[in-house]
Amino acid sequence: MLNLLKIEFKKITPYTTFWVIFGLVFALIPVVFYGIGQFELQGAPIDMKNTYRFPGVWNNLTYLASWFNLLIGMVMVILVCNEFSFKTFRQHVIDGQSKSDFVISKILLMLCLALFSTIYLLIIGALFGFATTDANVSFTENIHFVGIYFLQALGYMSVALIIATLIRSTALSIIIFMLSILIESIIQAFVPGNIEKYFPMEIIANLTPNPLISNMMPDPSQLPPGTEMPPMFESIPLSTTVMVACIYIIAIWGITYFILTKKDIK
Amino acid sequence: MTAILNINGISKSYKKVKALNNLSLQINQGEVYGILGPNGSGKTTTLGIILDVIKSDSGSFSWFGKVPTKESRKKIGSLLETPNFYPYLSARQNLSLVCKIKEVDESEVDRVLTTVNLIERANSKFKTFSLGMKQRLALGSALLGNPDVLVLDEPTNGLDPQGIAEVRTIIKGLATQGKTIIMASHILDEVEKICSHVAVLKQGNLLTFGPIQAVLNKQEQVYVAAEDIEMLKLVLAQIEGVSNIKPSTNKVYLLLDQGKDSAYLNKALFDKGVIATELGMQKPDLEANFLALIN
Repeated sequence: MLNLLKIEFKKITPYTTFWVIFGLVFALIPVVFYGIGQFELQGAPIDMKNTYRFPGVWNNLTYLASWFNLLIGMVMVILVCNEFSFKTFRQHVIDGQSKSDFVISKILLMLCLALFSTIYLLIIGALFGFATTDANVSFTENIHFVGIYFLQALGYMSVALIIATLIRSTALSIIIFMLSILIESIIQAFVPGNIEKYFPMEIIANLTPNPLISNMMPDPSQLPPGTEMPPMFESIPLSTTVMVACIYIIAIWGITYFILTKKDIK
Repeated sequence: MTAILNINGISKSYKKVKALNNLSLQINQGEVYGILGPNGSGKTTTLGIILDVIKSDSGSFSWFGKVPTKESRKKIGSLLETPNFYPYLSARQNLSLVCKIKEVDESEVDRVLTTVNLIERANSKFKTFSLGMKQRLALGSALLGNPDVLVLDEPTNGLDPQGIAEVRTIIKGLATQGKTIIMASHILDEVEKICSHVAVLKQGNLLTFGPIQAVLNKQEQVYVAAEDIEMLKLVLAQIEGVSNIKPSTNKVYLLLDQGKDSAYLNKALFDKGVIATELGMQKPDLEANFLALIN
């Protein structure tokens, strides 16, 4: 296992494209986050004064970072497609790797990249939080958003992995990956009832809930009896989303392996 | 002799095209086995199957007498079709990656780079290499860990004449070290110069196989002419050690048994009262033999 990971790092350490995209993501997250907190609406700051503070910072920061997760997914698309377009996957098998080694290598790499970005967010969040929060607010409250962000990063990268494995051409895979949300919402239009809320991209995206919506959400216990929750706030509980996302991720890994075993390696 | 590779009844179809039809072959230790055939005859498919990148429809194969695994592939140095490396990595970085996969010591990298004459370009990126250099790097990669078995698909493909000569020298050197080499080629000359054994494929069918002399009829032909061709034919038929008498318009072609030379033939004819007006040896026309075989 460790050897597989070492091989993956030997591939990406000198790879400029990888560092440029990752560097961009890591540089933009704190800059954009700082910018959002400075928004003013008609001269008066909108209700963002809590943007950087504990405990709100975790939800706000991870929601913002979730958009950049798409870029990290794109990096994954490029890395996996490279293995097909350079024919190095084929060469690795010839040289003595198995198809499962390939999938395990990519899973290990995804875990590392997700962990890496999660730790980075933890540091950024802590810096913003400690700089703006009064002493007696808990640092750990709502910190679970960071853990869920890890899962989301893993989720987007896993979708990237399977799209790249299926399509194999870099340009086309990136387009399909970027359009996957749109494609999914078109399919959702034809699906009745509640099932649409369990579609993979929707589930993965909902791992980091929009803080504006959750802030506006009325407390169910405060609602007058007999009134229903307005439809825009109706959503599956976060714990269910997490569980379904885990199932999707593991299923994607399994299917990716299955796809590889069914095909000749050209 | 120990069998290195056993292929038992392998077939493979791509949609409607039958790429390989019930191929069986045994390759023993120390043999330099050429797989010869025109383009599209199933050579690369065969090598792809034994290296586990192509799934056969039926049949089986074994390496070193065992069911093939990724561990057995680590002990085989392979060069299949195009050289496959990361373009943004240097020659050295690419090979050190292969070392990790093959679980070979990294000190091997510089050794093979020297062997294939690329040590001076070790730190250049793969994408800056010419086709010939890429091919040599791929051969170097196959040599990592000094494997006892090599699988080479068109190893001189894309090389200039000097490169071809260099690669052939390397392969011949490996053969003299007692390594088993399986080499696919559509170039008859190449197989003839390097291989000890040959299997000839055509449209997925194994036409013939065995030691190269036997298959390609490498025996030198003798030709002889005399005033009276008819008389000559009659007399030749009576001489011991003469076979395959083929008369042409003004000469007779024949084969002599091992140990008998043109002087022997000349004397035997003279004893029987025929005076040869012309007598000589002719290199066999392998090209013609080969074409006769595959048509």
